[in-house]
Amino acid sequence: MAYQLDNRPLDLRERFYFPEVIRGIGTLAGHFLRNLFFSRDANPDILARPRGLGYSDNVTLQYPEEKAPYPPGYRGLHRLVPREDGSPRCVACYMCATACPAQCIYIEAAEVPGDPIEKYPAKFVIDELRCVVCGFCVEACPKDAIRMDTGEHAPPSLERVHQLLDEKALLRGPAVSYLSDPWLRRPAPSIPAEALAAMTASARPYPDASDEYAQTPGFSVKALAAEARERAERAGTP
Amino acid sequence: MKRFFGMSLTLALLVGFLVLLSAGFYWAAAGLGWGFNALSISFGWNPPGTVSTAAVSYGAAVGNLLTLMMVVLMISGSMLTVAERKWSALLQNRIGANRITVGGNPLGGIPYLLADALKMLTKEAAAPDVRNRLLFELAPVLAFAPVFCLFAIVPVGPAVDLGNFFGVAAAGKSVSLQVAQIDAGLLYLFAIASLSVYGTSLAGWASNNKLALLGGVRAASQMISYEVSMGVSLVGTMMAYRTLRLEEMVVAQGAPVLGGFPALGLLLQPIGFLIFFTSGFAETKRAPFDLPEGESEIVGYFIEYSGMKFGMMFLAEFLEIAVFAGVITAIFLGGWHPLVFEETLRQNLQPIWFAAVCGGAFLVKMILLMWLQLVIRWLLPRFRYDQVQKLCWKILLPASLVNVFVTGAAILIDPSLQLLAWIGLGTIIVIGVLVGASGRQAAATDGHAAHGAAHAGGH
Ligand code: SF4
Ligand code: SF4
Repeated sequence: MAYQLDNRPLDLRERFYFPEVIRGIGTLAGHFLRNLFFSRDANPDILARPRGLGYSDNVTLQYPEEKAPYPPGYRGLHRLVPREDGSPRCVACYMCATACPAQCIYIEAAEVPGDPIEKYPAKFVIDELRCVVCGFCVEACPKDAIRMDTGEHAPPSLERVHQLLDEKALLRGPAVSYLSDPWLRRPAPSIPAEALAAMTASARPYPDASDEYAQTPGFSVKALAAEARERAERAGTP
Repeated sequence: MKRFFGMSLTLALLVGFLVLLSAGFYWAAAGLGWGFNALSISFGWNPPGTVSTAAVSYGAAVGNLLTLMMVVLMISGSMLTVAERKWSALLQNRIGANRITVGGNPLGGIPYLLADALKMLTKEAAAPDVRNRLLFELAPVLAFAPVFCLFAIVPVGPAVDLGNFFGVAAAGKSVSLQVAQIDAGLLYLFAIASLSVYGTSLAGWASNNKLALLGGVRAASQMISYEVSMGVSLVGTMMAYRTLRLEEMVVAQGAPVLGGFPALGLLLQPIGFLIFFTSGFAETKRAPFDLPEGESEIVGYFIEYSGMKFGMMFLAEFLEIAVFAGVITAIFLGGWHPLVFEETLRQNLQPIWFAAVCGGAFLVKMILLMWLQLVIRWLLPRFRYDQVQKLCWKILLPASLVNVFVTGAAILIDPSLQLLAWIGLGTIIVIGVLVGASGRQAAATDGHAAHGAAHAGGH
């Protein structure tokens, strides 16, 4: 919230200085008493905390214990999106590695045994220390196989090697299937028939915006959007 | 709501604790007085069965030295280091230090006291090679000691007859919560207060560091300037109460004036109060008068000090706050007078307990004033140096001189202090109007009228 500054010279009363100081003491004392006598609301959405008499003015978030939700579209730690059968959606096409301006994606492709066409990443390593968190890899992927929707930032570590995330560390989060997925349209020999039927049943026609972040646990774009709308409405109606 | 009731209970318990504490202080003073008396008899200096005034007052002084200076002053000084964090947090809508916990409870940040002490005591004391050794080591003591001595004349509780404690006839022998009852009173205050400038300016000089020297010079000129207005601002009070002794001033403030309202220094001398408060604030060298320190520009006169030597300087500042709060309480806020239900309390309580309630009232007022000083410290940004000097020499000093003349004239016309009280009341109302007049446009015209009125009131 920006304040309009009024840079007029002081008038006579203000040049007395003491009255304004005493008023300032009053203001601060009000804050002090409110914060002393009323407890802090721990709502992570600070703007939604109740205000006024009977409530503390405290705006602190006790960080490691309480975390503010990241805004929608926050580019968190990468993840490789799994299919319902637990294998990565990634087809090792190298698009992301090519697009990456930091050149921090390393992929080794391997053939799916018994399948004449399909590849999978035998190694898929992202160096999170070199990553500039641009999200180009997510944009480049033709298979919606890499996402940055975990809502986590890179965790601290004592050694550099711990920031190299391999395919085992990356493969997590909710599974996704689309009707257009080639392994569904052309029954892949690597997937058992009944699993294939289940995957086809849960598959969606195309990715939509609400799906993008909503599936990360504890990170709901819908809830955030609803809150923001509510707040805007409250601010709009006098 | 839970916090509301918890906090109210805590505050009530705190007041009760302060009353009990001052009762304990009385017993300590009386016990030591009695003990010294017994000792003097056993040495054969006094005939048996008598009560010697000298022995009693000596013993009581030793007791008060231990209780008031060691307990009250040291505890409030060190608690202020915690309060500085916690209270500033509350003022600024933060939580404040709460990561050191005892059994999961941060206890209001008090455990930080131990952590601080441990840190200060175990830190390496790195001193510059080129320092002036003697003065460098002496400076923290010189900053610390005068502040400490100042508290000796602060009357925390009224005099109680010794007979009340031990049930013996000891007419006229009384103990009170005051270390030294000296005739010089306020003069002692000014003398010792001006000594503390040595600590800071010598620290700046002996460190042999340009920034420290700047800080020391700033401290010296600022403190010497404000000494003047501080002294003159109290002249009105001395005239009104016709004494230099703080304990007599406190007693005089209990006398009714203006239809039963006690003749508080605040009522008789509102301008003197404002000037004394401001000057005293400048003496404590804290924001907005923290130019000697000015950590964002010159780091200050203690830049070369580390470890406990720095801690002493640091603590001296907080002690100054506590002492200053005590002095203002005694001179302007009616000292140990509880102000509410005073007569009822006096008639219904035993003398010891009435005195304990009075002592508790003093401590409560003192805590409130310390709080006020911290609020102001967190309210105002640092002045520019010329503003500091201008405030002193061009505003506070003339205003305090006018205050002296107006007070003198009022006392000359009406020695019963009624006129002075009316003038004081008028001034307070004018200040209240000035404070209440909000809105920048409207204030300009109101300001002119109030300006004239304020001058009439001795502004
Ligand atoms: S976010 Fe950008 S820098 Fe990081 S891996 Fe993806 S493309 Fe490379
Ligand atoms: S993550 Fe996507 S872009 Fe990268 S190799 Fe796999 S399928 Fe290709």
